[in-house]
Amino acid sequence: MSAATCGRCQTLLDEGDLRCSVCALIVPVALESAHKEKARILRCTECAAAVSYSVEAQAPRCGFCAAVMAVEQPVDPVEQAEWVLPFGVDREQARHSLVGWLKSLGWFRPSDLASGATIDSLHPLHWAGWIFDAQALVTWTADSDAGSGRSAWAPHSGSTRFSWNNIVVSASRGLEAKEVHRLAEGYNLQTARHPDQAPGSIIEGFDLQRSAARKTIVDAIERNAVAQLAAQGHIPGRKFRNVHVSVLLARLVTKRVALPAWVLAYRYRGGLFRAIVHGQDPKIAFGRAPVSWTKIMAVVIGGVALLALIALIIVLAAK
Amino acid sequence: MNHAHTVEGGTGRTLECSECAATLQIEQGHRTAICPYCRCPSVVERPAAPDRPNPTFVLPFTVTPDHVRDCVTQWTRRSRFFYRGLSKTTIHEIQGIYVPAYLYTAIVHANWAAEIGENYTVTETYTTTVNGKTVVRTRTRTETEWRSLDGEHSAYAADVVVTASRGLPNQELEAIEPFDLRALRRYSPALVSGWLAEEPSLPLATCVEQARQEAQAQEEKRLAAFMPGDKHRGLHYNMTVRDETIDPLLVPVWVLSVRPNLKQPAFRVLANGQTAEVWGPEKVSVWKVLAWIAAALAVIAAIIILARSA
Repeated sequence: MSAATCGRCQTLLDEGDLRCSVCALIVPVALESAHKEKARILRCTECAAAVSYSVEAQAPRCGFCAAVMAVEQPVDPVEQAEWVLPFGVDREQARHSLVGWLKSLGWFRPSDLASGATIDSLHPLHWAGWIFDAQALVTWTADSDAGSGRSAWAPHSGSTRFSWNNIVVSASRGLEAKEVHRLAEGYNLQTARHPDQAPGSIIEGFDLQRSAARKTIVDAIERNAVAQLAAQGHIPGRKFRNVHVSVLLARLVTKRVALPAWVLAYRYRGGLFRAIVHGQDPKIAFGRAPVSWTKIMAVVIGGVALLALIALIIVLAAK
Repeated sequence: MNHAHTVEGGTGRTLECSECAATLQIEQGHRTAICPYCRCPSVVERPAAPDRPNPTFVLPFTVTPDHVRDCVTQWTRRSRFFYRGLSKTTIHEIQGIYVPAYLYTAIVHANWAAEIGENYTVTETYTTTVNGKTVVRTRTRTETEWRSLDGEHSAYAADVVVTASRGLPNQELEAIEPFDLRALRRYSPALVSGWLAEEPSLPLATCVEQARQEAQAQEEKRLAAFMPGDKHRGLHYNMTVRDETIDPLLVPVWVLSVRPNLKQPAFRVLANGQTAEVWGPEKVSVWKVLAWIAAALAVIAAIIILARSA
């Protein structure tokens, strides 16, 4: 990772950046300037004939031998994980976590769920994500119920400074947003190591070019700012709508990481259900589970019977 | 790599071709030339001057002249119904030009104030006559409660591109924008060799002023979208910019000479060298518009007559 930062907003620059991805300040380079005016002919490295830029080849091409000159290309690579967090939960612990989670699901689940479930598959997976630190001046406007008059809404505005540390943004296609939200809490980022030091595990690809990834991260920061404004009481009132933010980002540092999780599929009475166990914190396990329709029906029938009994008592008392 | 040295001083616009030693006439304001004898393309290198900086970036051409011709032909077909001089056009000439421009960035801060409208519904009763009887009915009406609000708005002004060429007004460049700045490359003579590349011909101060106006127009749009409520009115603001930067770049523009017919002079049509977005001087023909209105009225009249006769 390059240690160079933007001269205006101190955002960490990536290798090959011509401009800062946040504030668009150009990355300074020493420009060569001729001492006196001269005409230069660019020559083919193959046959020494003059070359000109070809729109078809989108590169300088020799008109005689059709050789294409290599020139600096825009850098927009597909994102790759730079850091991998190791598993702190082994296969056996993941099984125990699943069983523990199945036991904790409550009365409306089948009584033999924990004992009757059989694990169909159990895969270690490193899901792709970004972890960012940033600071920002957030200016905002919103409608809320605070100070409302004839209308249910009153307009408000304000500005505040936010600082984010180690916020996880998912790049995973396999995990849902709510699953990522639950997993993100339990990682120890101090354990991050280089991908070469974690051989053998499946690392999910990012499937995004750098430019698209940056947009995803900035969108996530804006969503996070909106959520924090409401949660931390910056916007007065209890109900909000039309929350608009303008985020003046600074010091954005993004790490591309692969985060460990166990993805399980278990069977219970012919049904297949998915569950996820955190790769570093065995207490975090969640997923889909069957419900006991017998118990639910029993409660419903019991409730109806109770209501009927109460109605009967009321009718008899009235007579 | 061969270099030809300046033969004449002053503006230094006559150089020697390093391929055939012929005199190479560099037109004023051009960065490139093609030797009339050996057809070798040359790129001029010279010391940077305050109002004539060397380009930092270049956006290379990506659309071919054939594709541009097709796009311009489609544009003339679409536009000929309302604009004059486009009925029997022919593309006379096509030239790809690297137009000098500036890439401007800044931090924009605005203190704003506006009246914000919050809607609410009012239920009211009214009396009306139905079948000769007076009845009481209710209806709902949407009213707006207006409140004054002020605040701040801070944002980065990025991707502001303004012309640095006297030959291409900023409004015309804006009409074929946006350019895809993800394809930005550091300037290299190899990327403009064989093409017409212009030098900046507008003073830097003029370009900075244009860029600030464009940044202000962008901020106005952002502020309008930033307002809460169901509607707003009387939005006014005081905008300041800081940490401004401006960097020279070359943008790809196809310039086409389009001729309506042999009696009328050719006019200029522009196309974006990356996206083939077309702009032309759209002169509304009053006669064509009137003819379309007359045709529409005639169709309506015919339908009414037919309906009545039926």
